[in-house]
Amino acid sequence: MVNNKSNKYLGYLFLLPYLSVFVVFLIVPLIYGLALSFFGWEMLSPEPPQFLGLGNYKEALESDYFVKALWATVRFVVMSVPLNVFVALLVACGINSVAQKRQGFYRAIYFLPTLLTISVAGILWTWFYNSEFGLFNHILSYFDIKIPWVTDPNMAMKSIVIMTLWWTLGGAMMILLAGLSNIPKQFYEAASLDGANVWHRFIHITIPTLKPVLLFVLVMQVIGSFQVFGQTYIITGGGPELSTRVLVHYIYDVAFGEYRMGYSAALSWLLFLVIAVFSIIQFRVMREK
Amino acid sequence: MSVEDKKTKITTEILVMIGAVMFLMPVAFLFITSFKPHSEIINFESILPQNWTTENFSQVLTNFEEIPIKKWFLNSIFVSTTITLGVLIVDSMAAFALSRLKLPGGKWVFALIVATLMVPGQILLVPVYLILNSFGWLDTHFALIIPAMSGAFGVFLLRQFFVGIPKEYEEAAVIDGCNTWQIFWHIILPMSKPALATLGIFVFIGSWNDFLNPMVFLDSVDKYTLPVGIALFQNSYMTQYGITLAASALCTLPVIVVFLLFQKYIINGISLSGLKG
Repeated sequence: MVNNKSNKYLGYLFLLPYLSVFVVFLIVPLIYGLALSFFGWEMLSPEPPQFLGLGNYKEALESDYFVKALWATVRFVVMSVPLNVFVALLVACGINSVAQKRQGFYRAIYFLPTLLTISVAGILWTWFYNSEFGLFNHILSYFDIKIPWVTDPNMAMKSIVIMTLWWTLGGAMMILLAGLSNIPKQFYEAASLDGANVWHRFIHITIPTLKPVLLFVLVMQVIGSFQVFGQTYIITGGGPELSTRVLVHYIYDVAFGEYRMGYSAALSWLLFLVIAVFSIIQFRVMREK
Repeated sequence: MSVEDKKTKITTEILVMIGAVMFLMPVAFLFITSFKPHSEIINFESILPQNWTTENFSQVLTNFEEIPIKKWFLNSIFVSTTITLGVLIVDSMAAFALSRLKLPGGKWVFALIVATLMVPGQILLVPVYLILNSFGWLDTHFALIIPAMSGAFGVFLLRQFFVGIPKEYEEAAVIDGCNTWQIFWHIILPMSKPALATLGIFVFIGSWNDFLNPMVFLDSVDKYTLPVGIALFQNSYMTQYGITLAASALCTLPVIVVFLLFQKYIINGISLSGLKG
């Protein structure tokens, strides 16, 4: 320890700037939000907040809008997470087997889309998906195919999933690639000598060695996907027929469209509970490592 | 290497290449199409423009009354730079205290900070909005800058790095008569440049691209940052894709440049934060 003779609270002086922002904008909002979730309060009405107990939570669970938003979110998570992790793993393995000097180049290209802000990425894909003069339907028109990318309630979420694959793959791929580069080359060489082909090596060496990283990526994807918002907000606006209005979008509408702050806080905490389950799994996984 | 292995290797690289082209396409389209005249965008004939034009860009950059993109650009630069510097200073001081200084109860403070890593940002949106409102900070850049410094990720990342710096350096400095601040400033920080660069790039790109916070916390169009500005733009210039794409290209270029210049730090960061297996 550095300061054995000086003031024993000197450490807190260094910690103070961070700690004050941390408390005011993280700890206090967390508790404030929880407290708020037990009150009925419309920000624009002159009436004071009214204590409802679990009333907001009860309303949420009975509300068709909430159930619809939860369903939209779950649909997104279930489609998007396995697809993202699977493709990210394929791409990472592919890049890892390429000659060292070209790996950086491929890595950069696959990572590039994650650098686009959601409004730019969203505008781009809104244009691709446009049914009148959109690029995709234009290309497909040569084959006499027309896909209602974002105008059909059954198709819209799938379109969001495809766009998300492109937009977010890079992060997962980077982590998996870092994991892959940690597997000793001798493992593969020994297996080759024993006559194992590519597929055998993938199943018996890559997957087991990579398992902790893979699990980490999986949980990260689940947590992130439950918070999906930007893509649906910009590309589909939650439509058609609310088929893509996800939980965060619903919370946003309730809070800043209707200014029902208590109810939106309760919705936020419900979302937090769902995510917390997966976070706990993640902490377990990381500890095992 | 067997012949079969060689074949697999080549096939794999071809597949990786095809995938890379597919991933690159939308970004390439953004830049290429922003040089197309309006008619060619509406009636798609070829990927490359038949008549290259900078018309879209000059409209974006000169039509200042309607499209204050310069203002948004400056706002984005100001907000992202301030957040990045602020986070680096505040987080490195905190990480120094948590890894190097005597701190009664420091273990618990660190545990609390790490625990908040699992709090999703979105659930804080409403309470933070109300707190900012009570401070009178809504519709000011404070609303974007100050709460952005509360995140635990940077403290966690830097602490992990500081812990690994050998104690001998400081002991020598103490013998030379350095005080705590000098040790922090002249020993720890210079030795942590890679970690600081990594964190700085993550924070810069994250805040440059932040969409939700400015959308909720800002009202005045002249205070907007680029991502919200461009989204507003899309609503009012829905039919004029050329202008929207040119603005989007201008918004994207700086991030790509930062990424290409500092790529190695991003990769460092992934292993630093313990994500590596």
